[in-house]
Amino acid sequence: MRRNLIAWAVFIAAVAVLPWLGVSNDRYLMLLANVMLMFMTLALSWDVVARTGQLSLAHGAFFGLGAYGVAIAHRTWALHPLVGIVIAACAVATVALALGVVTLRLRGIYFAIATLAFAEVLRTVALQFPDFTGGTVGIAMPPLFDGDRVLSYYLIGAIFVLALATSLAVRWTRLHYAVTAIRANETVAQVMGIDVVRVKVVLFVASATLAGLAGAFYMPFITHTDPNDAFDIGRSVASLVFPIFGGLYTTAGPVIGTILMRSLEEYLRVTPPWKEGYQVVYGLVIVVAVLFMPRGLLGLVQDLRLKRPDRRWAWRFSR
Amino acid sequence: MALLEVSGLVRRFRGLAAVDRLSFRVAEGQTVAIIGPNGAGKSTTFNLVSGLLGVDGGTIRFRGADVTRSPAHSRTRAGIGRTFQVVQPFVDLNVMDNVIVGALFGASASLGAARADANRLIELVGLGDKRFSGVSALTLADRKRLELARALATKPVLLMLDEVMEGLTPTEERDAVRLLSDVRAEGVTLLLIEHVMSTVRDLSDHVLVMDYGKKLAEGSYEEVAHDPKVIEAYLGTDTEA
Repeated sequence: MRRNLIAWAVFIAAVAVLPWLGVSNDRYLMLLANVMLMFMTLALSWDVVARTGQLSLAHGAFFGLGAYGVAIAHRTWALHPLVGIVIAACAVATVALALGVVTLRLRGIYFAIATLAFAEVLRTVALQFPDFTGGTVGIAMPPLFDGDRVLSYYLIGAIFVLALATSLAVRWTRLHYAVTAIRANETVAQVMGIDVVRVKVVLFVASATLAGLAGAFYMPFITHTDPNDAFDIGRSVASLVFPIFGGLYTTAGPVIGTILMRSLEEYLRVTPPWKEGYQVVYGLVIVVAVLFMPRGLLGLVQDLRLKRPDRRWAWRFSR
Repeated sequence: MALLEVSGLVRRFRGLAAVDRLSFRVAEGQTVAIIGPNGAGKSTTFNLVSGLLGVDGGTIRFRGADVTRSPAHSRTRAGIGRTFQVVQPFVDLNVMDNVIVGALFGASASLGAARADANRLIELVGLGDKRFSGVSALTLADRKRLELARALATKPVLLMLDEVMEGLTPTEERDAVRLLSDVRAEGVTLLLIEHVMSTVRDLSDHVLVMDYGKKLAEGSYEEVAHDPKVIEAYLGTDTEA
């Protein structure tokens, strides 16, 4: 445990000094760095819910809710984005609590469907109340910290550290035992004295709040939000693909997965000849990764190190 | 006052009563066995008492308090422990961590105390050399041992055992009976569902016979074994009996 925490302290230090390695004046690289931390936050937060055995498709929606929280706070009360972020986080936590209490009694696929429906409802609501949300046009606001991407980097960096700390807390406290038991068998977990619904709701709210914070940062960072962007299902998908690629139920998995997948996506997007159909290539990489390393990169590394004779592939797993 | 007092318990599945106005008591320190043909409602009774199923009628009192509506996890914390007929260890945890779960949440122990408890119980059930093994590699007998250790870790006052002997060899069975006698000697009240009649005879002070969700007979092993109603219910219906 101590070695693990030291490694993360080193990682955080590296993240903190990154802008001063000649990157701080490069607005393109700083944009990538900001967005990278934002996606790492999303991936880490999604994985926290996954550890209780729940597949959430609402994380993109919590992100969007956070974005709208800041935007509405700015439009209606002209509040500073930093104040708006706090309000947005509280709003997301409240909504997540209500959604969690209702849906976390559902298991497996039913929970996933409920969260997907929730995301669609939010998008529709945003379209139906234009006086409040700006309708299809959305809401614009002045750039965060007057466009200073180093300052914004430290803001999202702080949010990322919060997500990291949450993920590590779930691994290194009694919560680890609770979530691993719940994931294996909820019925037996109850009989072991675990208040299953409460554990799931608490972690769901914490996780949703982190996703909301990421969105609340992103909105003033890119200065604009609208329903189709804020509640884009693609962001929900990203927040689950990165942890799966890196390695589920770990802290390093979502972080490494995000770094590699985001870098690959960005590289394909700007480099000919991939430029045109980069999403096809990106999609293929995901398919191959899921088929050949169902336990993610970390699982693959572990298998190679232990030289396990039968590396289990997805199709064998599915039996 | 009885430790467990069940009265008029009813549970229906699609109109069919799996448990039908069942009443019984378990006194503190007693060992009670529930026997009966397959489908008699024994496991359903366990699920109702442990809180995994809701009742359609009747009450369950434990240590004088009405627990009929309390959730499963709070019944465990109040002292009702149980094992499952089909053993289901937590797959991503090793033997030791499986037992720690019970101590942490069922007995509200600190992490340090839970570790110490788990170590003691793993030795007690004879899994000492497999404490850091993954659970998927365990034999059935070892899984049953783990199931028992995990249930004991919740510090039960009443321990409900659902067919712990099922699938064990005669030698393993004898070990298990000895182990359960030790557990009983520590003051734990046992409620067993059991098909192996020698176990029922050796362990239980009191036997409850169920058939079609109802109580068919109760009394000492000798009494129920010679009860014509019981013999009739078993004849030709259950080869193990």
